[in-house]
Amino acid sequence: MSKSKDKIMEKLKELILEIANVEDINKIVIEGLESGIDPIEIINTLNKTLEEIGKKYENGELFLAELMMAGYIATQIVNTLKPYLVKTKMKTFGKIIFGTVKGDIHDIGKNIVIMMLQSAGFEVIDLGVDVSAEKFIEAIINEKPNMLCMSALLTSTMEEMKNVIDVLKENNLRNKIKVVIGGRPITKDFAIEIGADGYAGDAVKAVKVIKELIGIKEG
Amino acid sequence: MDVPTMEALSGKKFHYTISLQSPIICDKKIEKKRIDLIIECYKKVDFDIVTVDLSAPEYWKPEINPDGTLIDLWGRVLMLDKQRKAWVPYSTIFNNPEDFENFELPNPNAPGWTFAIEYTKKVIGNDMALVAFIRDPFAHAWEMFTPMKFTIWMYQKPNFIKNVIEKLTNFNIEIIKQISEAGADFIVSGGDYCEEKGPMVPIKFFKEIIFPCLKKQVDIANKKGLKFIKHTDGNIMPILDDLANIVDGLHSLDPSAGVDIGKVKEKYGNKLILIGNVSVDNLARKSKEEIIEETKNCIKKASPGGGHILSSSNSWSAGAKLENCLAMVETGRKYGIYPIKI
Repeated sequence: MSKSKDKIMEKLKELILEIANVEDINKIVIEGLESGIDPIEIINTLNKTLEEIGKKYENGELFLAELMMAGYIATQIVNTLKPYLVKTKMKTFGKIIFGTVKGDIHDIGKNIVIMMLQSAGFEVIDLGVDVSAEKFIEAIINEKPNMLCMSALLTSTMEEMKNVIDVLKENNLRNKIKVVIGGRPITKDFAIEIGADGYAGDAVKAVKVIKELIGIKEG
Repeated sequence: MDVPTMEALSGKKFHYTISLQSPIICDKKIEKKRIDLIIECYKKVDFDIVTVDLSAPEYWKPEINPDGTLIDLWGRVLMLDKQRKAWVPYSTIFNNPEDFENFELPNPNAPGWTFAIEYTKKVIGNDMALVAFIRDPFAHAWEMFTPMKFTIWMYQKPNFIKNVIEKLTNFNIEIIKQISEAGADFIVSGGDYCEEKGPMVPIKFFKEIIFPCLKKQVDIANKKGLKFIKHTDGNIMPILDDLANIVDGLHSLDPSAGVDIGKVKEKYGNKLILIGNVSVDNLARKSKEEIIEETKNCIKKASPGGGHILSSSNSWSAGAKLENCLAMVETGRKYGIYPIKI
């Protein structure tokens, strides 16, 4: 990349890390495209910056609201790039069905993970909150995803994750799909107990686990 | 306690739905039944304190959407969780800040807000302490707009968000005056400031907006003779020093977020009332023996010298094992006698 293009990418990274105004960020993205930067390069810069933001959040340098805004900014950048990405045929890494389980309406973590996965090149179908096992199964049969991700924030609702996995087995779908569970009360022991392939206690860890299970290396 | 927990404790069915975040019962007879059930359960468990929230003001009626969701006093759209028999925040009527500017906030001086508190006081007299539960303005706005919209507007329209929190603070100030006349012994302000990693928003926002508004509420409560306790889940350590300079006490001291009640006691035991901190996650998943040990440990760290109210780190809900919850209280009765000998 030429020096001026490097400067544009450096500026983009700086603005994202500052959680700058979305309009200013979009201006830099357009500037980058007009100066000939491949939209995939812009996505790569975005994703590397999101990884850095994720690490800062894990270290306590950034707060939940900043993580949420970073996810929002990522969505806006991807929306700006969409027409250009279609032309370049960006590779998609897989399709994921995502939902908060039945009885639970919490979705902050889920929404952050989805925004980060979409910017990383995953196709994510968000079923929303209070999702029944039947609705998860219907989506899996129709969409044939690589992975099912379930979120729960309450100890009273996390047991529903086991129910969903049991219904997957009953429908001979368990071996056809990876299952990742997440949310504050989720532990390694619980994930093993119910037969999930992976787990995470927060959004940043969830993105790492999902990428690892699909076979994508970070950094 | 949620409704299923109270039904399990009392052996009675409560045939109505409630909300733990917003007053929704308009019929005063049903509101009395709700309070009667709460008091019955709290007495059965042998608690020293009854916690009661606000009632809906007399003028208000809930609006039910065609999809069965309910719009509460604050413009939150609530969805019915049939298992818990509770209406829970799901969405919002506010699509942009202009929607809020055109919204009529509830009138704090309308009659009816303290109905539940006054009725509770009549029933319990001086047998138990009476705590009035209100909602923190930041947490209220966070839920009212939904977390994502609140966050976007916090960055894009900071003056708007500041104005909203100040309006909600002014509401609380009027309510606190009424709570003091209704006979409450102290106030707990619910709604989280922190999550597992730490504060939910930047410290700068706390210092510029949240803490000044919190101080205004504490000052009026203290002026009226009421102690003011702040509840929050999550890792409070980055804002503990600031909180200690404002409030009279803290609840949760969330062990699942790594908060050590012993360390908080060492630093602020002579200044803060500490309420906590048996983990609700452990109440749901550990054995009775493990809960007894955790409770003893909590008493050992926090009770010597006084200033500690033994409690779980959050509500007793359908997820917690009732056997464990009762074991926590029994252990408190057995080992929580001064001088503490654990």
